[in-house]
Amino acid sequence: MIYLSQLLGNPVLDADGEKVGTVSDLGIATGEVFPRITSLAFMGPGRTPIMISWRKFVDTYDENEVHLKVIATDLRFSYLQPDEVLLARDILNKQIVDTHGMRVVRVNDLKLSDTSSTQLRLLGAEVGARGLLRSLHPALERVALRVCRTFGHPLPEKIIAWSYMDLVERDLSNVKLSVSHKTLDDMHPADIADIIERLDPRLRGQVFAQLDDEQRAGAMAEFDDDAMAAELMGNLTETDASRMLSEMDPDDAAELVSELDYDKAEKLLRLMGVQEQRAIRQLLGYRENTAGRIMTSEVASISETATVADAVELLRGLDEDFESVRYVYLTDEDGKLSGVVTLNALIVAPAETRLSELATEDLVTASPEDDQEDVAEDIAKYNLLAMPVVNDEGRLLGIVTVDDALDVLEEEHAEDLRVAGGAEGDDSGRASALIWLVRRNAWVALWALGVVAVALAVGGRLGLQETLAVSVPLAVALVLADDSVSYVTNFFLENDPDDEDSPSMIGFTFRGIGIGAVLGALVALIVLALESVMASPAVPTIEASLEGLGAALTTGGVAAAVSTFLSFALTPIYLAVLRNRDANNKETSGFTLSAVAMIVAVVVFTLVVLVAL
Amino acid sequence: MTKGDGRLSSLKPRLILAAMGPGLVAALAGADAGGVATYSNAGALFGFMQLWTVPVMCFLLIVAQETAARMGCVTGKGLASLIREQFGVRLSAVAMLALLVSNTTVTLSEFAGIASALALFDVPVYVSVPVAALAIWLLTMSGSYRRIEKVLLAIACVFVTYIVAGVMVGPNWGDALLHTVVPHVEATPRYLSLLVASVGTAIAPWMLFLAQSNVVEKNARAEDLPYQRIDTVTGAVAASVISWFIILTTGAVLHPAGVVVSGAEDAAAALAPLVGDYAEALFGAGLTGASFLAACVLPGITSSAICEAFGWERGADRSWAEAPAYRGIITGVIAISAVVVMLPNVNLFGIMMVAQVINGVLLPVLLVFMVLIASDKHVMGRFANGRVWNALTWFTIVAVTVLTVIMFVMQAMGL
Repeated sequence: MIYLSQLLGNPVLDADGEKVGTVSDLGIATGEVFPRITSLAFMGPGRTPIMISWRKFVDTYDENEVHLKVIATDLRFSYLQPDEVLLARDILNKQIVDTHGMRVVRVNDLKLSDTSSTQLRLLGAEVGARGLLRSLHPALERVALRVCRTFGHPLPEKIIAWSYMDLVERDLSNVKLSVSHKTLDDMHPADIADIIERLDPRLRGQVFAQLDDEQRAGAMAEFDDDAMAAELMGNLTETDASRMLSEMDPDDAAELVSELDYDKAEKLLRLMGVQEQRAIRQLLGYRENTAGRIMTSEVASISETATVADAVELLRGLDEDFESVRYVYLTDEDGKLSGVVTLNALIVAPAETRLSELATEDLVTASPEDDQEDVAEDIAKYNLLAMPVVNDEGRLLGIVTVDDALDVLEEEHAEDLRVAGGAEGDDSGRASALIWLVRRNAWVALWALGVVAVALAVGGRLGLQETLAVSVPLAVALVLADDSVSYVTNFFLENDPDDEDSPSMIGFTFRGIGIGAVLGALVALIVLALESVMASPAVPTIEASLEGLGAALTTGGVAAAVSTFLSFALTPIYLAVLRNRDANNKETSGFTLSAVAMIVAVVVFTLVVLVAL
Repeated sequence: MTKGDGRLSSLKPRLILAAMGPGLVAALAGADAGGVATYSNAGALFGFMQLWTVPVMCFLLIVAQETAARMGCVTGKGLASLIREQFGVRLSAVAMLALLVSNTTVTLSEFAGIASALALFDVPVYVSVPVAALAIWLLTMSGSYRRIEKVLLAIACVFVTYIVAGVMVGPNWGDALLHTVVPHVEATPRYLSLLVASVGTAIAPWMLFLAQSNVVEKNARAEDLPYQRIDTVTGAVAASVISWFIILTTGAVLHPAGVVVSGAEDAAAALAPLVGDYAEALFGAGLTGASFLAACVLPGITSSAICEAFGWERGADRSWAEAPAYRGIITGVIAISAVVVMLPNVNLFGIMMVAQVINGVLLPVLLVFMVLIASDKHVMGRFANGRVWNALTWFTIVAVTVLTVIMFVMQAMGL
């Protein structure tokens, strides 16, 4: 084995043993699984770059020097061929995509085949720690290897074979590669999207531009970040962008177009085919988060008088990229949706059977103005693969497929979690556990803040002991304020305002006030009881000097009671805010809401204490 | 600037305003613990004698920041990436080591800043530092510091009061302006080390990395360069105005009184003519905000650059399992800084000063990499450094190196 790092910088000696330069690079022919080294680039006298054919001129080579077959004057210079890649210039130290492990990595070294054979080949790119250490100094690698072996952890090389490399920075698409070369193009669009998201913004654009229309369309639909998708699209030429939009499913395309500014969107839509354009415009006509927005207009529908053979004929005639068909929908003579035939039924039934005999007429349909979440829930409830969307006259407009429904549910679930004050994003590291704990116990910090606020507010009218005694019940008020928000968010998640069964806002308001009154009274009573017990002669451990403290504790108890009552009395406002933001599709964090509630509690508490003194 | 394609008349005003943000933010964050300590010292020790450095630093800062932003615009890559791709593993290891050391010491000085600022409120070091370290660690790890960035910036704006304070104390303006234009050099180790510290705090290596990565994240193109330049210049000028007024105020208030700034309370005293008894509270709040902000930014930049150079996964959205190096480096930098600050009997203000000197000493190392890449026509195409820009950068490198050597020689000789 020999590594590129060991060859670079070595002297190049001609047949007479004269030094003609130092090795600066190696060229490979890209067409093979283990590409041959085809040319040698070296720095000649006076730093002139020279390239010669490896096969014709190189005699022997090792870690120390390269010997040529001829004398310097007999050398014939060659030029880099279009299908050749220079190892040091194009691959070493560069970012590549490991299409096997599906990661973006940086090449630390390149591993070449054995020195004993005459043909030198590229085995792969080294992307692990060993390559890094070797490039720093070979001795470092040896030391690290020995240390690791002593501890029983062998340090393996991380090699990526040429056939699993995608050079993100050099476009090889016009170079003829061997069949086995797996590039980004061959990966699943979801994986391509993952990799592109990990690149720097500029590289993203470059890599994206290298994909073909179909891959682009696929990857575009898979990006998590809509703004990023829109930006990538902004980098394409207008014709490319409109071609890609035509290639996408109309519902995904509509979502993307809605992210663009108006002028750009109009321009792109005009460049598209009439049919695709109409499909997208139609979807864009519906409000966001409705069934109309996420449905696809690519539906297999046929007259109810047709036979199985007609239906099969229709399916055969569909475009290659037509949305995959799960059901064939039947329409009556007025064009109304009258029934649905499953694909199974079609396959099993004899060719001459009338479709109306196979059809299920008990249809579950949605209107385009329906909320997407309701549609998704119905799809889950009725175990459908797609749900037809019909207009008021009963005409079929399109279908919402199960994959889109799953996306909707996932999105809504994440939103609900956020409202409930759960973890944000999918980061499940140790840090987030700590953050979770900190968030859950934010009341402690606010309590400390409250003590300071009370101390500042009373401005020396109370001693340290009295101030602390006043503030003790504040802790209870804060925890209850936090709970009041949980109460709101639970109610918000469980009840839909449009649902007739759900309690009305007025009911909720009264309930909030009621709970607040009861809890407030309870807090006041418990604090009073506590104070009486401590002050009573039956408890001899406490000195009689309690008087001032007792009064302070009572004041705090009353303040906590008022603040608790208000916390719950305010719940309808929080609910209204939540619903309002939800209706405008804004996300709300439950943590922010409870922080607000607790700050309100501190303020109310401090005010009451001030009044009471 | 180097290529005269920035015709201001053809720029859109709205975009200019939008572009001005990041530079101003960086400028305010630049008025951090080290900056305040250095400039307060400069003013207290030498009066107006170091005012002349401010315009010079401002100009050199513009040169360095403009180069970094231009490299980001043209290549779309971070500085660490470029160093690795142009110079290979060995030299990028050197560069990254320099960056790691310099940024760790700056983080250290930010912790010292937080500790000494909170000490004004009588919070002991053993309380303030662990709490701050934990908070910073959590914020950096979860990447959520951006949410409180604005709050901290607002607090850090307290340093703008130096401008008001400077006007209020009624300094001898003619004298101040004269010293701003006429250089004055004293051949004492103290003066020279303060000079190196001024360079280190004005043109910190982390600023270059931050400037370039901001541009790369935004995916600004070569045609966006005029806007980036406006951003760079406004940021540098704002930072310089603040530092000029800090030196002016401390020079006018502390220098005549013969106060030697050895702690935060001395530095805060400069604001006393303006706000009286509230000087310590105001100064403490400002120092805490600025230091906390910088301490949140620094470990992330450091770790991100190192991971970028060596091809490791990075980003706050990667878990420990995915990006152990990224998270490990952040944790390490924060832990080391916190522990050193808590060592018994350390001089917190001394740490802030020493950190800036180390920054100044390491700056030439990274500037050499930068200028070599920026003048490489293969990388930068027609946006490569012009002769003037190259000369100025090399001047900075040579000047700082010479100053450093003289400083060390003088210290070794015990002058």
